[in-house]
Amino acid sequence: MTCKLQDARPDWKSYALGELDAGARREAEQHAATCSACQDELAGLRVTLDAMATLREEEVPRRIAFVSDKVFEPKWWQSFLRPSFAAAAVVAAAILVHAFVRPPAPMTAGVDAAAIEARVTAAVQQGVQKQVAEEVDHRVAEQLSGAVEQAVNKAVADTEKRDDQRAVQLLTAAERRYSESADILNKQVTQIYAMNTGAGVR
Amino acid sequence: MIFREVEDRDLIAKARRGDVEAYNLLVSRWEKRVFNYLLRLIGHREDALDVSQETFLKAYQNLPKLDDPARFSGWLFRIAHNEAFSLLRRRKPEADLEDEPRPVDSGGRLFPIELSLAVQSALNVLSADQREAVLLKVYQGFKFDEMAEILDCPVSTVKSRLYTALDLLKITLSPVVLKKETVRGE
Repeated sequence: MTCKLQDARPDWKSYALGELDAGARREAEQHAATCSACQDELAGLRVTLDAMATLREEEVPRRIAFVSDKVFEPKWWQSFLRPSFAAAAVVAAAILVHAFVRPPAPMTAGVDAAAIEARVTAAVQQGVQKQVAEEVDHRVAEQLSGAVEQAVNKAVADTEKRDDQRAVQLLTAAERRYSESADILNKQVTQIYAMNTGAGVR
Repeated sequence: MIFREVEDRDLIAKARRGDVEAYNLLVSRWEKRVFNYLLRLIGHREDALDVSQETFLKAYQNLPKLDDPARFSGWLFRIAHNEAFSLLRRRKPEADLEDEPRPVDSGGRLFPIELSLAVQSALNVLSADQREAVLLKVYQGFKFDEMAEILDCPVSTVKSRLYTALDLLKITLSPVVLKKETVRGE
């Protein structure tokens, strides 16, 4: 039994795979209504595709996830701790301090007031710079360590929660499959028993 | 489907800005599909999982190169395809797959699980190229032109592989399917 259209017959594989546009589909269906060869071909394809649809998707055995490295990205306040900002802050602090602890006017002639002022300014600047640097280091370390700990705790908690949920899902799916298989097995056994013994199926 | 696409787009944009959590959410949406595609293509669970992981890592690293976020799925499967075939090439060439399909012996009556085992073994009879065409079309629902992009070959090649595969599957599965139909009819 062959189709009278021969090579011009509809592309039934494309039809069954949903690749034909609406017009071509309609045309193919109209032809199939009167062509038993094409009806057979299409039925064969459908049976094959139906059988293939019985293959179930499997769960992923372990969740794929990537660890965030956000904790290592600078926080907004850390941008102020960049060398350029820190240097500017130190200079500003030195100027302010100098304004308040300015040395008294020279008591005697012959004393180099400018030199004393320069030495005092330098000492104050150095002291402030050291103190600011220590404070910055301390705070950065403190904040970073806190953020890392918090992120690690969150990641661990998230992972545990996901693992728990996945375990429950897998268990439920396994139970369902087992139950379905058991039902089918029972039906099959009952049918075989009925066929062999002629007993009615309850 | 449209909402899903918009959300994927949003996640891709966030991931591109370095938001790893957004990327993890994207991974959780696609991991099952990618894993099953690779599992059926490679045929080994642990390898499929490793290649899935590698695929998502490569995708993250190359996310800035993705021109059109709407084509994320095809792009992702293209990476998965490359990774899978790179693994298959590295493997010692196994015994060449037989050209002639072998009918699957189903024994007696068929249970659904037996039918899916028969389908699995029928898929294994196909060449890797034919099997991949079936996986992308029948199980992942890609269009011919999308498949051509993923596989980097003309649409005519995609159709040829798929059509041959369907013919072979029909021959291989026919005894099983007929038995099942007979059981139904009794």
